[in-house]
Amino acid sequence: MELWKALLIALLGWASSLYGMGLFGIFGGWQCVGKPLIAGTIIGFILGDVTTGILMGAAIQTLYIGLVTPGMSMPGDVNLAGWIGIPLAMTAGATSEYALALAVPLSFIGSSLTYLVASFNCVWVHKQERLLNQGKIKEAARIPIIGASTNFICRFVPIFLCCYFGSGVITWAVDNMPEWLGNTFILLGKMLPAIGFALLLSFMVRKKTDLLYFFVGFICLRIIGIGIVPCTVIALFLAYIDYMYNNKNVRPAFANAAIDDGEDE
Amino acid sequence: MAIKLSKKTLWKVFATWSNLAVSMQNMERMEAPAFCSAMCQAADELYPNDPEAKKEYALRHAQFYNSHVVTALLNVGLALGMEEEKANGADVPDDLISSTKSALMGPLAGIGDSLVTGTYIPILLSIALGICGTTGSIAGPIFYAATWLVTSFALGWWLFMKGYKSGIAGVTYMMKSGLTDLAVRAATVVGLFITGCITAQYVTADFIWSYTSGELTISLASKVNEILPGTCALMLTLFAYWLLDKKKVKMGMLFIIFVLLALVTTVLGILG
Repeated sequence: MELWKALLIALLGWASSLYGMGLFGIFGGWQCVGKPLIAGTIIGFILGDVTTGILMGAAIQTLYIGLVTPGMSMPGDVNLAGWIGIPLAMTAGATSEYALALAVPLSFIGSSLTYLVASFNCVWVHKQERLLNQGKIKEAARIPIIGASTNFICRFVPIFLCCYFGSGVITWAVDNMPEWLGNTFILLGKMLPAIGFALLLSFMVRKKTDLLYFFVGFICLRIIGIGIVPCTVIALFLAYIDYMYNNKNVRPAFANAAIDDGEDE
Repeated sequence: MAIKLSKKTLWKVFATWSNLAVSMQNMERMEAPAFCSAMCQAADELYPNDPEAKKEYALRHAQFYNSHVVTALLNVGLALGMEEEKANGADVPDDLISSTKSALMGPLAGIGDSLVTGTYIPILLSIALGICGTTGSIAGPIFYAATWLVTSFALGWWLFMKGYKSGIAGVTYMMKSGLTDLAVRAATVVGLFITGCITAQYVTADFIWSYTSGELTISLASKVNEILPGTCALMLTLFAYWLLDKKKVKMGMLFIIFVLLALVTTVLGILG
């Protein structure tokens, strides 16, 4: 990979990490460019193969589609998964299954980095408080920008090094992989999205009957063969019915109460 | 003379919070440095000739704060509105400002995590993934990026101005109105349905095992899929869901289970 490509990927990877800066916080960063789907598209542009980038990004995205990071907990970091996994798999000429297989271990390394950064950042907190106590408001307000350097070191450097020097290793590994292991990776790529969707389910299902919506959605696309956009319209319609139904169950109670009041008077 | 924050300052506070909210996330005070920085943008305008009051003002907001970046904007706006009243001489105790912040950050984080990050974004992503399909259409990523950027900015700015203008009473009313419950329910229904669709499209593992006896070959996949197409995908997803939800298995463990499952079924030639 050319030097400028690796530098650009590392820079964007840093800016779009959870604690990144410069893409209007999580609005344009973590939740937009940081999503593997968008990251894959951009990496595709940089490396000159947009379609492969999108397919690899989409594969990784399925696994982390329900990623919620409440407080400090970080179940899996998609940043390294996307910004190291996709470029390496692309330069090695591998399929999206390999990108996904690379993503998993990388996301665990990313999680540990997150904790490391947040622990070190306490140093900057005290620096800011000192400045505030001295009445230096302007300088104190700039601390979060300076403090972003911790994250910069922990993101930019590993992404750059892996992208610049790592592609040879991956190419070698893909070329020399025994068939059974390659097949396992391919199957894994077809299976792992199930984890992402299961995570989403565990987050959204509140009572068991909620799973019915999931089944009907599955059947609509897999068996009836409706596209995703018409499916969304059906989903919105069901949400409307669900709302009307729940509302109706509440309303008679209010209506009766009003009538009762009238009779009492 | 009453102090009225200019539009430019309001924008600076909004932009500072949005841009820096988690840039210096830390174990000790979480997002407090960013909250403080955002409030500092208005310091000169609120207390133009009083360095001591300015200092106290900034220190008030250097205390622990942690919430969801988007929904917390309601809180940022509210704190700014209260500070403006205080700077104008109204009797707003320091404690009230701090306690409103700590009282709101939890519920706001809950709403933000479950509604924005946990439901709204997955729905958008699912639709985008569906549009991408197997051909890798660029319409998918464009759809996600455009819809997310427009709606999240609109929501963030609306919440910020709502908090700034309506004060404690207004915000309390909004939080208790049950509007969020309704939104959560509607989003959950859409989310579950779309998750079903996208599972059908992306979990593509299927049975490859077949029984051969002389001329006769029975393929497991064709028999099972005659009854319900995509049985394998459904089974895998529900298996993972069962492990996560009922067995409380951690993500890391779940990956290991799936890797082993893939290895064993590949070697035995059951799934492919």
